[in-house]
Amino acid sequence: MSATVPALGLAAPRPAARRRLGAGAYALPLLAVMLVAFNLPILAMLAQSFLSPEPTVAHWAELVQTPLYLRVLGNTFWLAAITAGVCGLLGYPLAFWIRTLSGRAQLVALTLVLMPFWISVLVRTYAWIVVLGNGGMVNRSLLGLGLAEAPVSFLYNTLGVTIGTTNVLLPFLVLPLLAAMMKLDERLFQAAATLGASQRAIFWRVFFPLTLPAFAAGILLVFILTLGFYVTPAILGGGRVPMIANMLDVLINLMPRWELAAAISTLLLVATLGLFALYRAIGARGA
Amino acid sequence: MTVTRRGLILAGTGLAIPLAAPRILRAQSVREIRMIEAGGKSGDSMEPYIRPFTAATGTRVVRESPNPFGKLRTLVQAGRPPVVLFEVGSTQVKQGEALKLLEPLDWNAIAPDEMYPEAKLPLGFGWQYYSTLMAWRSDARAPKSWADFFNTRDFPGKRSLQDRPYMLAFALLADGVPPEKLFPLDMDRGFRVLERIKKDVAVWWTAGAQPPQLLKDNEVQYAAAYSGRVAATPGISYTFDSAALDCAYLVVPRGVDAAEKAAAMRLLREFSRAPAQAEAAAIISYTGPSPALTPLLPQDKLAEFPTAHRDKQFQHDVGWWYDNAEVVERRWQQFKLGF
Repeated sequence: MSATVPALGLAAPRPAARRRLGAGAYALPLLAVMLVAFNLPILAMLAQSFLSPEPTVAHWAELVQTPLYLRVLGNTFWLAAITAGVCGLLGYPLAFWIRTLSGRAQLVALTLVLMPFWISVLVRTYAWIVVLGNGGMVNRSLLGLGLAEAPVSFLYNTLGVTIGTTNVLLPFLVLPLLAAMMKLDERLFQAAATLGASQRAIFWRVFFPLTLPAFAAGILLVFILTLGFYVTPAILGGGRVPMIANMLDVLINLMPRWELAAAISTLLLVATLGLFALYRAIGARGA
Repeated sequence: MTVTRRGLILAGTGLAIPLAAPRILRAQSVREIRMIEAGGKSGDSMEPYIRPFTAATGTRVVRESPNPFGKLRTLVQAGRPPVVLFEVGSTQVKQGEALKLLEPLDWNAIAPDEMYPEAKLPLGFGWQYYSTLMAWRSDARAPKSWADFFNTRDFPGKRSLQDRPYMLAFALLADGVPPEKLFPLDMDRGFRVLERIKKDVAVWWTAGAQPPQLLKDNEVQYAAAYSGRVAATPGISYTFDSAALDCAYLVVPRGVDAAEKAAAMRLLREFSRAPAQAEAAAIISYTGPSPALTPLLPQDKLAEFPTAHRDKQFQHDVGWWYDNAEVVERRWQQFKLGF
């Protein structure tokens, strides 16, 4: 042990660099596993869209020339946009409200927001059928109170899928947003108030702009995560809300057209990476 | 006792020997074969065949599920499939043949009891018949034919159809095409008929468990459903009239171990025994491939069993579905999306 001390002493002028290298070394095995067990298979799968059975662009040509696949991709992005929008509309006021709570109440509210995380997606999705179905709690109440003549169709359409995806993804927006709100310096608002700004002006001109990067990043995160949803549209969409993951299931497991599925997945991955770059750029600006 | 590195290495070596042993022994006798099946009660209904097989040969059978076709392709492409029997649908036997995923069955080694001809394919053993039929809530007006099922004016209520193009056959029957003239399928006409009913289809189902649940929950009043899922369900009525009789096959993935394949052939012989098929039918109301089965079934429940109503039903032309798979699949998706 003592023999290493002089060596360490030599490196002493740049301790930070050394520490970074050390931490990186610990991550190397994990990196290797990820590379071999995850990244390489994915690349091999994606390469199928160009290389199977021989080098060709036929699968890409088919993808571009078939309106169906592009429409389903478009629909997936549209639904992701709706979900991101709804999560934003619900999540911002929610995070704002949780921020104003006292310590214990904040804990309770956060627990409630986090609760969906602890329940399996499948169970949660089926639970919506019990709540929102034609014979479900909500419809029985509406009919019983005379507020509706016939059961309201909450499920098996875009509304049903949006409810399902929003329910799953809301915490992804609220948690980082709340963290950003908690970090804000209260003295900024006091300063604005002493300069005569109204509550409304303080919110729109100081508070909101400061939380905007975290808010935008959260919305983008929800958007990206919605793109890959499979269970929720399969169950709550009733087969009537086409999403790309469900289309891929047909192409991979039924057809089986792996090359075309690989092409669609590549397109989806590229779009997602593009959005992720945007997410990082927004995050970096916020920091 | 303290754990030392040397101790661990010794223990590791000790473990490795018994782990490797089955590989060495397998040449003489197969200790275990694995199969992939559809799961649920259908999978459990394989036990009456597996039990006598294990008793006679000492070979254990491990069942796994589910059985998407993509998995079969992956197993074969990865080489030396560890799974010796794989359950597929009737059109998938054709697909598997075209993609060279299957190993021919050795019917001489199987030496089966009598079977229906379509169950004895060079590449597939038809082990279980099931029907896709019309089912409805018992409190809804009972349809007599597919024409009634597709007539939403006189038979009001929401429908649920399977999210597969096979529904085209029912649409054509509803439009007056006689069962023996169904194939080659008139796609344009079929889609036109489906278009009429589309707005009343609340759910396009993908899992066999969905239709009975949707009927029970009153989400829909009429549904095309798998027979075994609605048989003997309180509150749900059904008919085998003009139902689609289909068969699930067991196939052997290409490249399996020869000794394991031989064991699988021996197991398939048990699948051809009518008494075992009667036992299986008690677990789920699907029936095996023996023409001698019907008298062995519980006579008070004959209404539940697919092969007891063979003459009322039609069978799909598997060759047509295979030849037109790409086109019909794409048109199906386009139809559902409305363009």
